[in-house]
Amino acid sequence: MTMSRLEVQPTEVIDRSTTLRFRWNGKRFSGFEGDTIASALAAAGEHVFSRSMKYHRPRGILTADYWDPNLLVQVGDDPNVRAGHRLLEAGMDVGAQNVWPSLHRDIKAANGLVSRFLTAGFYYKTFMRPQRLWPAYERVLATFAPGGKVDPDTPHRYHDKRYSHPDVVVAGAGPAGIEAALAAAAAGARVMLVEHEHAVGGHLRYAHPEPARAALAELRAALAASDVEVLTDSTVTGRYEDNWLGIVQRSHPVAVERLIKARAKVLVVAPGLIERPYVFAGNDRPGVITSVAARRLINLWGVKPGERAVVFTANADGDAAAADLERAGVEVAAVVDGRDGRRVSAAQGPPKALEAVVAGGTRTEADLLVVAAGWTAPTSLLNMAGDRPVYDPAAARFFPSDPPGNVLATGGLAGDGRLDELRAHGAATGRLAAQRAAAVAHRYQARTARALAVTGDEPAWAADERAPLRRDRHPELYRSDTHGMVDLSEDVGSKDLVAAAREGYDSVELAKRYTTATMGSAQGKLETVNTVAAIAEARGETIAQVGTTVWRPPYAPLTLGALAGRMFEPVRVSSIHPWHEANGVRTIQAGQWIRPDHYGDPAAEVRNVRTNVGIIDVTPLGKLDLRGPDIPKLLNLLYTNKWSKLAVGKVRYGMMCAEDGVVLDDGVTGRLGPEHYLMTTTSSGAAGVWEWVENWLQTERPDWRVHVTPVTTAYASINVAGPKSRELVSRVVDGVDLSPEAFAYMEVRTATVAGVAGCFMWRIGFTGELSFELHVPAGHGLHVWEALMEAGADLGVGPFGLEGQRIMRLEKGHFIVGQDTDGLTLAPSTGMSPLIKLDKEDFAGLPELAWAADRQLPLIVAIQPDDPEIVPEEAAQIVRGDTNEILGRITSARMSPTLGRAVCLGQVEPELAAGGTKLTVLLASGQRIGATVMDHHAHFDPAGERLRG
Amino acid sequence: MRGIARGMRRRPPKYSAAALAWKGLRGDPWPRVWRDTELKRSYDAVVVGGGVHGLATAYYLARNHGITDVAVLDKAYLGSGASGRNTAIVRANYLTPEGVAFYDRSLQLYNSMATDLNINVMFSERGHLTLAHSDAALRTMNWRAEVNKLQGVDSSVVGPDEIKEVAPSLDTSDHPRYPIQGALYHPPGGIVRHDAVVWGYARAADHMGVEMHQKTEVLDILCEGGDGPEGRGAGGRVTGVRTNRGDISTPFVVNCTAGWASLISAMAGVRLPITTHPLQAAVTEPVKVFLPTVVVSGSLHVYISQTDRGELVFGAAVDPVATYSIRGSLDFTEELAGHVLELMPSVSRMRLLRQWSGLCDMTPDYSPVMGFTPVDGFLVDVGWGTYGFKAAPVSGEQMAAAVATGNTPELIAPFALSRFDTGELVGEKGAAAVGH
Repeated sequence: MTMSRLEVQPTEVIDRSTTLRFRWNGKRFSGFEGDTIASALAAAGEHVFSRSMKYHRPRGILTADYWDPNLLVQVGDDPNVRAGHRLLEAGMDVGAQNVWPSLHRDIKAANGLVSRFLTAGFYYKTFMRPQRLWPAYERVLATFAPGGKVDPDTPHRYHDKRYSHPDVVVAGAGPAGIEAALAAAAAGARVMLVEHEHAVGGHLRYAHPEPARAALAELRAALAASDVEVLTDSTVTGRYEDNWLGIVQRSHPVAVERLIKARAKVLVVAPGLIERPYVFAGNDRPGVITSVAARRLINLWGVKPGERAVVFTANADGDAAAADLERAGVEVAAVVDGRDGRRVSAAQGPPKALEAVVAGGTRTEADLLVVAAGWTAPTSLLNMAGDRPVYDPAAARFFPSDPPGNVLATGGLAGDGRLDELRAHGAATGRLAAQRAAAVAHRYQARTARALAVTGDEPAWAADERAPLRRDRHPELYRSDTHGMVDLSEDVGSKDLVAAAREGYDSVELAKRYTTATMGSAQGKLETVNTVAAIAEARGETIAQVGTTVWRPPYAPLTLGALAGRMFEPVRVSSIHPWHEANGVRTIQAGQWIRPDHYGDPAAEVRNVRTNVGIIDVTPLGKLDLRGPDIPKLLNLLYTNKWSKLAVGKVRYGMMCAEDGVVLDDGVTGRLGPEHYLMTTTSSGAAGVWEWVENWLQTERPDWRVHVTPVTTAYASINVAGPKSRELVSRVVDGVDLSPEAFAYMEVRTATVAGVAGCFMWRIGFTGELSFELHVPAGHGLHVWEALMEAGADLGVGPFGLEGQRIMRLEKGHFIVGQDTDGLTLAPSTGMSPLIKLDKEDFAGLPELAWAADRQLPLIVAIQPDDPEIVPEEAAQIVRGDTNEILGRITSARMSPTLGRAVCLGQVEPELAAGGTKLTVLLASGQRIGATVMDHHAHFDPAGERLRG
Repeated sequence: MRGIARGMRRRPPKYSAAALAWKGLRGDPWPRVWRDTELKRSYDAVVVGGGVHGLATAYYLARNHGITDVAVLDKAYLGSGASGRNTAIVRANYLTPEGVAFYDRSLQLYNSMATDLNINVMFSERGHLTLAHSDAALRTMNWRAEVNKLQGVDSSVVGPDEIKEVAPSLDTSDHPRYPIQGALYHPPGGIVRHDAVVWGYARAADHMGVEMHQKTEVLDILCEGGDGPEGRGAGGRVTGVRTNRGDISTPFVVNCTAGWASLISAMAGVRLPITTHPLQAAVTEPVKVFLPTVVVSGSLHVYISQTDRGELVFGAAVDPVATYSIRGSLDFTEELAGHVLELMPSVSRMRLLRQWSGLCDMTPDYSPVMGFTPVDGFLVDVGWGTYGFKAAPVSGEQMAAAVATGNTPELIAPFALSRFDTGELVGEKGAAAVGH
């Protein structure tokens, strides 16, 4: 097969005045603007583009489009690029994939010699002994992985996303799809027309000029004059619940790709038909191509596909291909007409080329075999909508059965007809789509609260009164009297499928899994029906009896980059962060937040808080603003303790459990007004608790009148802690009596802080010192922080970070949910049993905790190593003596600057929880050390005199 | 071994390189992997569900206990449910002693499965990395490593440099959002060709006389003497099952289904504390192999492995909503891709080829329900959440022992249905909630 460029074709899409230079396997080539990579290479005489997966057989053009299994190439760092689809660009570096060492001399082609031993699934039957050699076998098998290479330095370039809410999306811009879009738009619908190829027109683009040319021009002109949004080189990749569509736009002016997420009121599916390969000996040889491929090569790119051809045709498109070939100067040596019961039996020649075609016992010399054996209906989007297409043996293809009312099929998928009949069906489909979309729009609007109330009654759901398209008879041509390849991308032959079915893998799903047929790049678009046919043949059943596999999204593979888009995973910092950065902060990652860990010396920060006053930025603290009369009910349900009697101005600590009684979160909630509360959560639990609260309110207690607003980032939060904190706070706060009598521990006040109104503050803290927590509107956080630093200069105020706070809370024995507790820690293990009110009517976790009430549970205890200098690792196991029996673990450990010794919290078995119990702690080094359980959680100020001051 | 002698009915056609060569030369067909037989009217035991759990149960009934008059029923084809939809990861680095003992036994059985069953299940012991993106996560990894070490399970915490060595494609740079600060490395973990496990158990069970019946849907479970309607429920006993192919009488029914476990159990009048959630997964087009280990990130809810065929296989956490629908969602693939690219930006140009979804039966304590029920002769091996595949061999072995001996084996005693009446739940949530 020698291809070459023809003279100018009236239908061609190339611009011969613009030459593009590129490299193919390191050598220089050129093509024209408008060429695909494959057409440029074909025009330059290349006819081998890849090697097959298993046998490394040379492969050439088969379908010359996106689905061509033989045209996957590497372009720069982009693997598995469809050379039959990707447009040529100047400077492209294109290489063949899966070749070793090179495309033309591939050593692994030797596998073909032993193919009789490498039948489908052969690897399940061998490489088992000796077992120790399997890893070596595995390494060799892994070198057969097909596909391109991922360069570890490939960046994630700019990918974009867009939301869209069109009335009608039409998938496929052939004549029926265009007419559907035009008709829907004419009826007032907002329409998006999505075409997989680089231009609209479908099969008209490569049809011989008249009358197709005139029709195409007319349709294009009408589209240009319409309001239809046309997206080319774009694919509807998936149809999900409620017509939620994923559309990938591959050609975008700025982004590498764009994922459009569209909620279509009606989806029109008009992808046309995909020409199916025919199975016979040598059907994967370079030189054997589909009739559509021949016509695309000639008419779109002016490429002469060969010199002497045999045409196997069973339909009008095959006949048209024969005419195109003659016109292009290809000698048509023989036409084998499948409608007369004639069959092609073999394509013969050396591995890389075609020499002769055998049909009906006659051998004809040829370098090109053009096959038109029938069509596959790409019903994927219908399947994703729940439809189960039905096989019609008379037409030799599947047809839609009963898709949901907001999904309509037209074009070749729906049936056959003359061009005007297909166009009429498309237009009728468009009108129906617009009518139904109007009804859906009315329904959406009526159900949504909006300023302009919807007027009028909902339009009636339009009945489907389209005149159905006829179904042309077509011979059932799947396999000839010889065996050949069924799945070219997986190297699975009809023999493999028959053998698999006879071996018991005789349902289409089992055969697919066993042989891997249909699992390759085209996901069955070329192979599925031939696969089913082979199994049906082995079982002596019909195709309809065997049925097909389920088509799953995506319709066409799409890049992870397109799916990921711009990756909005925000890094959060508080509004005070610039100050921290300017003052030597060392940060730490805490959930979504970057937080100050310390400013150089955490121990000094601790000492300053214990003697003077310190301020810490606790903005990430989760904050939920609660409003409504039923808040006490909600709090009683979420927390283990009682909330009915919390007075205005008071704050209370609470612990939340999941339904299994495991500690979920903790924090304080304050009552700001009669029906206004502020709930705080742990920083890491902020999002989860909000979801948890909303879940209860929306799904379990929708009748409760509580409105929840997450305000974590709306307020900057600063804790002012230390013996001099009252003095400092009094210097910046107006209008609040801060005396211990007027503003006691565990109370909340609204205040103006440093001139900022609308702040509130409460007297709580994690450090064990007298402390005031200020919550100020986030935009003023930095101002208030700086005001505190300035006002407290003479008091010795200094910042402290998370590390200092963690040390101080550990000195005080406060546990941290998720550190000192884990996914197994039931609430009583925290030692907070007085706060677990099993006599309450209900709360999340109550049944489980009631069961657990008389069980002995592990307990959180304070522990001090006997050697004050040794700080055990957080995770060090507490074991029984010299054994490996686990009795607990250290959950928190630090050197205490206040006490000058190591202090810990840990979880221990109940029998070890009593104060004074001696423990053995196994360090990561293997050393075992002695430690003692303390009487009280607090290592420091157990009576809590300092914080109440 | 005694069991094999008793259970064997037909000489197995051995799989081996020599047999492959011989049949290849002669062009001989291989015999059927399992027979296609008529459904009988009575069996000694009926297993509902032809997935890895059901087939393993049947296999061990025959192999270890000589009970070969067993039918495995599946409403579709063998392995059509979760067995063929999971991401095929196995590991034993659990958190509780019970969990470790159980999964470690399973890993042992996987290790010797190719030779035991005479089918190459392609157990790829490639190591398993659970990434930590925060000091809190790292603390949990340290905890798991310490517990595992004491229990003789090979796992340790490794730092970014070692991670880079094991899996160079991971972005271990000083990433602002999800820095890889360390990982729990578990060398014995890996992946298995899940379909081969299904076929291997079916074939081996078939050789011993067990019958596999596909497209055989259980419509009802027949009981007598129970306190519910038609003799169902507590205090009763099983007499048979009603299928779309007729009634079968049997004294033992083992429910080994996933997705439909609560519905099948309800047929016997047994209520299970199960909600069913979909779990989605996806696979890319193949590229040359570059990722040598299994990579899991709990914070990013993603697990990644590359098959020997070159595809990246991805899984995530279960969908938040309880449903029996197994249609995939677009949001899943978007979030998944974003998270994968956080870990490995270089795969931005790889293409997602296929997404799918399976059903997971979730229990309140993220542990299965195994063993006897209040209905005599009705046993369950259900509630396997997202971790059923890795537990299949040991589950089958233990369930078979329960049926054969009438006693609950020690390994599965913690998973008894009765724990939901006493509140003594199993604590694997910490480890299993992260999934794979």
